[in-house]
Amino acid sequence: MRAKYVMSEVFLGLWRNISMTVAMIITMAVSLTMLGAGLLLYNQVDVIEEYYQTNLEVVVYLDRDIDQPTTDQIKADLEASGYAAQVKYESQEEAYDRFKETFEESKDLVASVDPTVLPAAFRIKMNDINDADKLIADFSEREGVYQVTNQRDILQQVFDILGGAQRLTLIVALVQGIAALMLVANTIQVAAYSRRREVAIMKLVGAPNWFVQAPFVLEAVFAGVIGAIFAFATLIAAKFLVIDGQFKDLFSLMPPISMQSILLLLPILTGISALISAITAWITLRFNIKV
Amino acid sequence: MNVFIDKGEFVFFIGPTGAGKSTIIKLLLREEIPDKGKITVGDTDVTRLRRWKTPAYRRSIGCVFQDFRLLPNRTAAENVAFALEVIGKPKSVARRVVPEVLELVGLGGKEHRYPHELSGGEQQRVAVARAFVNRPLLLLADEPTGNLDPDTSIEVMRLLDRISRTGTTILMVTHDSNIVNQMRRRVIEIENGQIVRDQARGVYG
Repeated sequence: MRAKYVMSEVFLGLWRNISMTVAMIITMAVSLTMLGAGLLLYNQVDVIEEYYQTNLEVVVYLDRDIDQPTTDQIKADLEASGYAAQVKYESQEEAYDRFKETFEESKDLVASVDPTVLPAAFRIKMNDINDADKLIADFSEREGVYQVTNQRDILQQVFDILGGAQRLTLIVALVQGIAALMLVANTIQVAAYSRRREVAIMKLVGAPNWFVQAPFVLEAVFAGVIGAIFAFATLIAAKFLVIDGQFKDLFSLMPPISMQSILLLLPILTGISALISAITAWITLRFNIKV
Repeated sequence: MNVFIDKGEFVFFIGPTGAGKSTIIKLLLREEIPDKGKITVGDTDVTRLRRWKTPAYRRSIGCVFQDFRLLPNRTAAENVAFALEVIGKPKSVARRVVPEVLELVGLGGKEHRYPHELSGGEQQRVAVARAFVNRPLLLLADEPTGNLDPDTSIEVMRLLDRISRTGTTILMVTHDSNIVNQMRRRVIEIENGQIVRDQARGVYG
């Protein structure tokens, strides 16, 4: 009975102040979308790191004019160094095959490259990828070695981009979040003002504090939950339209963002949003109008 | 000032504007908390009442104001029922008690009127019904006849008198000398926050 009264008050309050309600929900949705995107990126960095950790190689490119004994010597030294778990020789022909395979779709590019331009290389699986710098220091100055590259350094750039994107989303989420909370506080004040007569009478006849506050707090929670649902829908749409759609090629470089991790965001975003909205509403009531 | 009011008494507080009459009401409702001194209602020390205990305390008090304070979008019966609703009484209680109380205040048959369809006197009687529906030990009235004409005022006073006879203590703040003179009840006159007169069967002065 009382629950019914509270709910009708909640919807009446939101409806009476509809423009503010919409503004509140939109800012919340934007903030939560950004927060969700930030969380996904955070997760993504972990996934990529794990994905490549086992596959990362250090590549020792050899001079094109290297002779066989030097090659054998380098191989022996690499194996003896203790860093390498597996040393695989890739001849110039193999390198060219790999190149052709990688750029299969760009026939012109393949045609323009002379097979002898590509260097032979040792592809090394490391015991511990963190020792890569030591190995690079030991071998990069050697006779017959053209260059030593750590694939992780290349990956690092991807991480930097992801990290930057992540920071950006979190900053936008924070700024929008603050705006959303101010709108919540404002909406609650307006709602409390338009219902001050009821509030005064309720207090007079001894309604418990939670009962007086409930409609206002629930108004904020309701808006928060709707905002979270919109944010969730936006993230789902982003997955299908952007990641799996228009920019599929770009995103195929990294492991796919799983549907599961997006679904997991629904309870997280809803919970965060509802809780913070409720606390904001409650504090507003306590300090601004002393309900 | 120091004053003791016994259970079931009917007391008028009179005095010039700004003397502190309405402050007494606010203190008793715990809308304001005194800097010093002590107020006890029944067994409750109001001055030391915890904030979260205030609602429960207020349920033992009924209150009527000059401006009626009814909800405009609710009928007379709904206004009275609201007082029961918000303290969690089941609907069945409201269905039984509300008509009784409205009958008591002489509004039988007008339960479904909205406040704007009622006269001032009738609205005040709805307010009295709402204050009384929880059978409070104490009824506070802050110039309840301030907005009413003399005849209507007398009707409302008769009503308060009947409630007083049920054993409810009534504290009424007023400027209305006619009423005080007719009722012949205890009169406490206040000036500048001090009691200047406390008479058992007093007149306005």
